[in-house]
Amino acid sequence: MLDQENLSDVSNLVSDIKHKKIYNSFDVALKTEDLLEKLILQRQWKSARELMKLVKSRIKFIRDDLPTEATATNVMRHILKIIREEYESASKKKGEGQSLHQLVTSNSSDILDYSESLSSLRSSILDHLGEYKVEIESSCDNIAAQASEHIHMDEMIMTVGKSHTVEKFLKCAAKDRNFKVVVVEGAPFYYGHSLAASLAKSNIQTTVIPDSAVFAMMSRVNKVIIGTHTVLANGGLRASSGIHAVALAAKQFSVPVVVLSHMYKFTPLYVVSNNHEAFNICASPADVIPQSAGKILNDIEVYNPIFDYVPPELVTLFISHQGGNAPSYVYRLLSELYHQDDYDM
Amino acid sequence: MEKAKKENKNEKVGPDGLTKKERRALKLSARPPQDNRSATEPTQNSLEKTQVNKLGNTITEIQNTIAAISMDSSKSLSEKEQRRLEWAKKLEEQNKEKGVDKNVSKAELKAKRREMQEAQRQLKTEHSKPVTKTPSTEKKDVEKKLETIQKHDTKKVDMKKEETKISPKKDIKKIIQPHKVQLVQHLYNEEILKLEANAVIVHQDIHPAFIKLGVQYGNKVVLGSNARCLALLAALKSLINDLKSHPKQEFCRYLETVLQVSANYLYTCRPFAVSMTNALRYFKLQLTQIDTNLKDSEKKAKLQDIIDTYIDDDINKAGDAISMKVREKISNGDVILTYGCSSLIRKILLEAHNDGKKFQVIVVDGRPLLEGKELLRRLVVAGIKCTYVLINALSYVMNSVTKVVLGAHALLTNGYVMSRIGTAQVALVAREYNKPVLVCCETYKFSERVQTDSFVYNELGNPDALSVTHINIPTALKKWKDVAKLTPLSLLYDVTPPDLVTAVVTEIAILPCTSVPVVLRINASDTT
Repeated sequence: MLDQENLSDVSNLVSDIKHKKIYNSFDVALKTEDLLEKLILQRQWKSARELMKLVKSRIKFIRDDLPTEATATNVMRHILKIIREEYESASKKKGEGQSLHQLVTSNSSDILDYSESLSSLRSSILDHLGEYKVEIESSCDNIAAQASEHIHMDEMIMTVGKSHTVEKFLKCAAKDRNFKVVVVEGAPFYYGHSLAASLAKSNIQTTVIPDSAVFAMMSRVNKVIIGTHTVLANGGLRASSGIHAVALAAKQFSVPVVVLSHMYKFTPLYVVSNNHEAFNICASPADVIPQSAGKILNDIEVYNPIFDYVPPELVTLFISHQGGNAPSYVYRLLSELYHQDDYDM
Repeated sequence: MEKAKKENKNEKVGPDGLTKKERRALKLSARPPQDNRSATEPTQNSLEKTQVNKLGNTITEIQNTIAAISMDSSKSLSEKEQRRLEWAKKLEEQNKEKGVDKNVSKAELKAKRREMQEAQRQLKTEHSKPVTKTPSTEKKDVEKKLETIQKHDTKKVDMKKEETKISPKKDIKKIIQPHKVQLVQHLYNEEILKLEANAVIVHQDIHPAFIKLGVQYGNKVVLGSNARCLALLAALKSLINDLKSHPKQEFCRYLETVLQVSANYLYTCRPFAVSMTNALRYFKLQLTQIDTNLKDSEKKAKLQDIIDTYIDDDINKAGDAISMKVREKISNGDVILTYGCSSLIRKILLEAHNDGKKFQVIVVDGRPLLEGKELLRRLVVAGIKCTYVLINALSYVMNSVTKVVLGAHALLTNGYVMSRIGTAQVALVAREYNKPVLVCCETYKFSERVQTDSFVYNELGNPDALSVTHINIPTALKKWKDVAKLTPLSLLYDVTPPDLVTAVVTEIAILPCTSVPVVLRINASDTT
């Protein structure tokens, strides 16, 4: 019971995400960071190990309750790494995961157990968290700033559904480049419509096409630029449904697929099938076929999946605020972001 | 056709320093005129008709009036003529004020407008059916035209001036059009005519069955390519039945001309499906082979018979044969994925079900037409276990599928499959999951055309249909007409490359896509 109370902060977050009060991943990331900042500041903890235990219990809670929510757990994982780093620098000891040589030469007493209570730890972690927060906040702008490196004059760019990052990216590119955008509407959610309306208002020539016209249109497209829900450890994507077909069509016509992704979307998780239980969720079928269809609804099955798995070979490039990377490099980015021990919990 | 266009282009860059709008007029008038075997005089006339009509297509009443009158007036437009035009315009306005004979004059105007459209249409269909002409005559035609154009160049410029005076600037802008995707600008051409055709102007030369058919095509009530062809043949039958023999002309020749007029009308409502073109071509060929010594009633009976046989052999029996072939390929426990609503696929699935085969069907559907719902309904009523998804969920369901069965609008000579938009994508995802893709297509839908992308020849759907959800709730796109740079684009067809198709099931055999030219060659040698 006590345990439940302790987790009230995170269960609030989970319910907010579930009820779509917090909608895009950027807000989720900020909220999570906030939550942990409060936790570190207000909770009683004596050593880094205790703090890490608190954070880990929260990650577990989210993972159990919202298996598809990656952003929140990723932010927490990264903060775990921050705690480890700060502890290491405070205790002036080297942690594990170092080079083979160090592993061999080090004696057992050097191995960290994070149990020492260090007085300066709290403030140094909070400092580091502040930096991380700024990084999250500026991530979108940093990605958008690279737009002119990727879009040239008179290009035809295809995008799917709605992503704030893509929207900003394109608008930033439109400042000094002239190009056309083809927006795939992304039925049955129609997020593409609002993106198209917003792009057209900022004076970008925008064409909206239904999902069925992707193949026909792809032969004239120069680049596919999309956002994603999660980047998986193998460089694949968990993106909104329909993107797999778009990526396949792009492959067919040799069109590069550029994925804009914040660092907090990189997940140390291997899921390589669309039908994996923890991978996909289905939304209400009422969006696909109206309830008014009547009697036949009793006899049919209707699916309305939200995500698509896109294998890494269909992705050309990831763009994060640090710059571009190929899918094959994602494993390395992950090891920079998270500590080995925190990959799987 | 290509030549005509090329020379057209040369004309465009010509040294006479024409403005954009003038070039438009030139381009239009440079299209092959309707019937130029007789003399140059009527050619000129029709050229001017079209020209005037195009310029005056600014839709306002006054301009139409002028166009009609100017067409009425005489063969060439001198300065005198122009004055007469203006005078006529004034007169017309007076008439309007008086309100005398208003109805009559309106009706007349309508008829005249009709005639002009007819002329234009004839030009167009001539355009789309180059088969009837030998290349040499075509070249001649083009040369003739160019001559006439050059002759009348100066006059046209004069005309232009006059027209610009009359039409307000707004209308000119409308012609430039903000809400058109540049890529498929050539597909929008029909739209202006379509708007007018939708107003249903009754013309005495067109059989009511065709008028009705035209409206049905235009409103997409009759949508599938089989349905369109059957409806056309039914209308043709009632036309033959009702047609009275002409006092001077031989029945078949007369029927030919009447049919041409009707076909032109239909073309303005919606471009022909390949199935329709093929059926019409076949019918016309038969028409030339009818014994002229027969009585008209006998001819009628014979022609009706020809149509019935065509429907029976090439459509119905072909469908039966295909159905049998596919049924062999369906085994118990299969999960069959299909896209949209093809009448042939429906028939196949229902017959396989009646045959006792136990299988599931996944109906994939695509916006904005959502035809799959109809297929779904019929399959469910028949008791087949069905799953329904939109095209975005394709990857989600494809893994459980064992066979993909698709319908086709046409099969092109280079092996590409022209079909409802979205079909190519289904085939693509199916290949990714290594599922066999069977395309079912009767051989009467095989076409001599070649195409490698979906833009050169296609049709446009209603863009407004994209701005509402599946239950007609407007989305963020609803005000697209107010935002100049926002354009919804709805294409009706796409082409699937042959490497995505495992096999084509026809009534002859199960073939690879690339066998289309072989089938066409054999069919051609059979009929002649």
